[in-house]
Amino acid sequence: MQETVDMADDPEYEEEEPSFSDPEDFEDDVDDEGEQLLGDILKEKPQEADGIDSVVVVDNVPQVGPERLEKLKNVIHKIFSKFGKITTEFYPETDGMTKGYIFLEYASPNQALEAVKNADGYKLDKQHTFRVNLFTDFDKYMSINDEWETPEKQPFKDFGNMRHWIEDADCRDQYSVIYEAGERTAIFANDAKDPVVSEERARWTETYVRWSPKGTYLATFHQRGIALWGGEKFKQIQRFSHQGVSLIDFSPCERYVVTFSPLMDTKEDPQAIIIWDILTGQKKRGFHCESAAHWPIFKWSHDGKFFARMTPDTLSIYETPSMGLLDKKSLKISGIKDFSWSPGDNIIAFWVPEDKDIPARVTLMQLPSRQEIRVRNLFNVVDCKLHWQRNGDYLCVKVDRTPKGTQGVVTNFEIFRMREKQVPVDVVEMKESIIAFAWEPNGSKFAVLHGESPRINASFYHVKNNGKIDIIKMFDKQQANSIFWSPQGQFLVLAGLRSMNGALAFVDTSDCTLMNIAEHYMASDVEWDPTGRYVVTSVSWWSHKVDNAYWLWTFQGRLLQKNNKDRFCQLLWRPRPPSLLGADQIKSIKKDLKKYSKIFEQKDRLSQSKASKELVDKRRAMMDEYRHYRDQALQLYQEQKEARMELRGGVDTDEPDSNVDDWEEETIEFFINEEIIPIGDL
Amino acid sequence: MKPILLQGHERSITQLKYNREGDLIFSVAKDTVANVWYSVNGERLGTYNGHTGAVWCVDCDWDTKNVLTGSADNSCRLWDCETGKQLALVNTNSAVRTCGFDFSGNIIMFSTDKQMGYQCFLNFFDLRDPQQIADNQPYLTVPCNDHKITSAVWGPLGEFVIAGHENGEINQFSAKSGDILKTIKEHNKQINDIQTSVDLTMVITASKDNTAKLFDSASLDHIKTFRTERPVNSASISPIMDHVVMGGGQEAMEVTTTSTRIGKFEARFFHAAYEEEFGRVKGHFGPINCVSFHPDGKSYSSGGEDGYVRIHYFDPQYFDFELEV
Repeated sequence: MQETVDMADDPEYEEEEPSFSDPEDFEDDVDDEGEQLLGDILKEKPQEADGIDSVVVVDNVPQVGPERLEKLKNVIHKIFSKFGKITTEFYPETDGMTKGYIFLEYASPNQALEAVKNADGYKLDKQHTFRVNLFTDFDKYMSINDEWETPEKQPFKDFGNMRHWIEDADCRDQYSVIYEAGERTAIFANDAKDPVVSEERARWTETYVRWSPKGTYLATFHQRGIALWGGEKFKQIQRFSHQGVSLIDFSPCERYVVTFSPLMDTKEDPQAIIIWDILTGQKKRGFHCESAAHWPIFKWSHDGKFFARMTPDTLSIYETPSMGLLDKKSLKISGIKDFSWSPGDNIIAFWVPEDKDIPARVTLMQLPSRQEIRVRNLFNVVDCKLHWQRNGDYLCVKVDRTPKGTQGVVTNFEIFRMREKQVPVDVVEMKESIIAFAWEPNGSKFAVLHGESPRINASFYHVKNNGKIDIIKMFDKQQANSIFWSPQGQFLVLAGLRSMNGALAFVDTSDCTLMNIAEHYMASDVEWDPTGRYVVTSVSWWSHKVDNAYWLWTFQGRLLQKNNKDRFCQLLWRPRPPSLLGADQIKSIKKDLKKYSKIFEQKDRLSQSKASKELVDKRRAMMDEYRHYRDQALQLYQEQKEARMELRGGVDTDEPDSNVDDWEEETIEFFINEEIIPIGDL
Repeated sequence: MKPILLQGHERSITQLKYNREGDLIFSVAKDTVANVWYSVNGERLGTYNGHTGAVWCVDCDWDTKNVLTGSADNSCRLWDCETGKQLALVNTNSAVRTCGFDFSGNIIMFSTDKQMGYQCFLNFFDLRDPQQIADNQPYLTVPCNDHKITSAVWGPLGEFVIAGHENGEINQFSAKSGDILKTIKEHNKQINDIQTSVDLTMVITASKDNTAKLFDSASLDHIKTFRTERPVNSASISPIMDHVVMGGGQEAMEVTTTSTRIGKFEARFFHAAYEEEFGRVKGHFGPINCVSFHPDGKSYSSGGEDGYVRIHYFDPQYFDFELEV
C-alpha cells in the first residue's frame, strides 16, 4: 500500500508558502530574441526586406501600345489576382510601347510565391508563355558563379551480384515471411521438400516489407524511413529518410520509389509524397497529399517513363527523369473518376461520369501525344472499374448501369481489343452482381465470380480474335470470393477467403476441369509463386489470431507443406525479372521439354528418396536414443524392486496382475444399452 | 472405436484417475461430487459426497482402499473407497489444487492455492499417525510463495514430489526435508498437468505453452517434446506402447466465440520416441481437461470442459500400427 499524506493537515506544509521567484543564480535558457516563446507571433513581425519579397516579375508579356494597355492590364489582373491582392503594378515603357515584362506587388510574400508556382509557364496565347519569378530571385541568379565546377566523383559502391538468387542451382524462388507478430523476418528459398532459410533477422522491419517489381530490392519500413536490401547477403543498398513513412510504391523499372508519410507536410515544402532515385538515393521531388486512401496516388506507366496523378477535374502526367509536368500542363478533365495505365503501352484509360446531358465516357489516350485513340460513351452509369490484361492486349471496363425502365443495377463488361485497328469494343452482359473479375495474365480468357452468397457461380470467358466472346464453362455454387490466376495463365485458384472459411478450388482453364477442391481453414491470403508452379495460402495474424500458418500447394492443388509459424503475418514471393530469352528460345525449350523433364524427374526422385531416407535415419536415431534411455531407466527400476516391495508390505505390484492371488473374484453382469448421440458437425 | 460416454457430472471435468488395476475410474469435476465408475462398461459404482465446492483433484492408493480428493471448498478429504464414507477432513485456508498418495499409500501430499491472501503450501501428512490429521498438523509443510503449484505427483519410492508451477517451472520437493532437490524450467507457461508412467520412471508434463514434455522422474532430464498449436491441458504415457496421448484445445474462456473446428478439441496421439503425431480422436465439444491411459494400455479415457468422460477402447489396428523405420 502506498502511504498518503494529507497535505492540508500537515503543519509543516502550511508554514512553507511556495515561492515562485527564480533563485538568484538562475539563468533563463530562453534566448533574448524570444523566438522560443513568441515564435509564431514574431514570424509575422515586419522586416526590412518586406515588400521586395512580395514582388514578382512576369516576362513574355505582350508588348502593346497605350491604346491596348488597358485591355492588357485587365487580362493580367484577371490572371494574377487569383493568387492574392495586387497592391502595385508597374508596366515599364519605351516609346509608348510596354517592354514585355511587368512588376506586380502582392500584399504578402506568400501570395507572390503562389503566383510564381502557378502562373509560371502559363500560356497566354501561342506566342506568349509567362515566366514568373520572384523579384528577390534576381539576387540569387546574379550570384551564380559563371565557372563550371565539376561535381566530385562519388566512389562506386559494389554490392555484389544483385541477382544472385536467380543463379540458384535448383532454380528455387525466394519468399519473405514476417512472423512473431512482426518481430522476425526471414527469406526462404522455396523447395518442394522443406523451405531453406536464406536469411533471418529480428526486427528487420517495423511494419511490413515489399519487394521491388523485378525482385532486386527488399524494402523494409522504419519510423525514420525506408531501407532497401539486396545482393547475396541482403546488405543495405540504400536508405530514404522519410519520417513516419507508411506506404511505398516502386516504379516498374525499379529506378524510382515513391514514399508516403502522413506526417510533416508543410505548405512551403511538400513532403507527404516523395519520389526518390533508387540508384543515387536522392530525393527527386516532393508532393502534397491530403489522403492516401487510394494508394498508389501516383500510377506509373509500364516503362517508368511517366507517372500520373488524379485530382478533382485534372489528370497530371509527369515525366522522368525531370519529374516535371509533361508539356508543363495538366489535363483538364472535369469530373474524372478513375484512370489507369495500360501495362503494355503508354496508353492511359480514364472515365468520366454523366453530367446532365453529356453521357459518361471512357477514354483511351496515347501519351505523350495526348491523342485520344478511343472514346466510348455510356449511359445511365453508376460506376466503372478498369481492368487491364497484364500485357495490355485487352481492357475490360466493368460498367454498373441503371437502365431506364428496369429496376436495380445491371453490369456490363465492355471489352476493348487494344491490338486491333480502331480498338473495337464488345459487350458482355451480366445478369447477376459481380463479386470478382480477373484476366488471364498472358492470355485472352477472363474469369468472373457472380451471384449472391450462397449461390455464387464462377464463369470463364474467352475473347476470340473476331471479337466474339464465348463463355467456356460455368461452375455453380462455388464457395469463393476471389480469383487468383497463375502468373503463367491457364491455371487459377478460386478462393473463399476469410468469411468463407478458406475454401479453395484449383481450376485448369484449358479444359475447365476442377483439378482439386481443398480447404485452408480461415485462410486470408493466396500468393502464386512467380513461375506459376506453386501457390501459397496463408492465415495471417493480422486478420486472424490463431492457427497462423502458410501452406504450400502445387498448381494442381496437391498440398506439399504446412508451415506453422508463430504469429505469422505475411508471405511475399520475390518477383523475377523478365526472362532474357527471346520468344523463339522459349518456344524451342517448350518443344524439347521432354528431354529436360527427364533430368528434373530424376533429380526429384533422388531428392525424394534422400528425404525419406533422411526421415528414416532421423527416426532410427531418435529411437536408439530413446531405447538407450529406457534401458537405463528400467535397470534402475529393477534395482529398486526390493525397496518397492518393502513399501507395499511385501506385495509385488510391478505388473497389473502380479499379485493376482490377492484378487477377489467379482462377477458383474451389465446391460449395455446403445444410444446414438448427435454431436454436431464434427 | 466407439466410446463409452459417462454422464455423471454437471460441470466440466477436472481430473480422471484409474486405480492400479484399472478396473475403476475416479472422476472429479467442478460440481461437488466425486464419481467412481467401472472402466469396463462405464457403469457408475458410486459417489463420494461431502464437498461443497469444485473438486480439483483426486487420487486413489495402490490397493484401492482409500480415495483422496481436494476441493475449492478449502478442504482435502479422505474417503473409504468401497463404502464412500468420509474418513478424514483436513481444512485449509485456500483451495486444494493437487493431491496424491505416495508409493506406499501411507503418506499423502496436497498443495493449496495462492488465494485470498494465503500462500501456496505443499503439505505432507503421514496417515499412520492419526494425530496429524486430527490436529491438522502436517509433519511437513513447504511454502511456495513465488509461483504457485498447479500440478504435482509423487516420484518413485515416495522420496519426493514433482511439482509444476504456474510459471512453467518444475521442482522436486523432498518428502522428508521439504528441500528443493532439483529444479528445471523447460516450459515457459503454466504446467497444467503432470502424470507419471506406470512404472514411475518418467513423467509427462502438459503446459499452456502448447507443448507436452517427457522427463526422467529422478534426474528431471528432458527427454522429448511434443508440440501442438493449442494449450495442452493433460498428457498421459501409454504403459505398453511408445505412445503418449495429449488433450487440450482453445482455452475455455475463448471457446464461446469459436467453433469446435477451430478449437481443436481432439485427443492427439504422438509417438514417444519420434515426437510425431500419428492420430487424433474427436468427440468432445469443449477443451479436453484430462486424459489418462488405462494401466493395461488397451483403452484410454478423456474428460472435457463439456462435462463428459469418454472411455475409448482401442481398435486392433492401433496395436499393429507402426511408423516406417
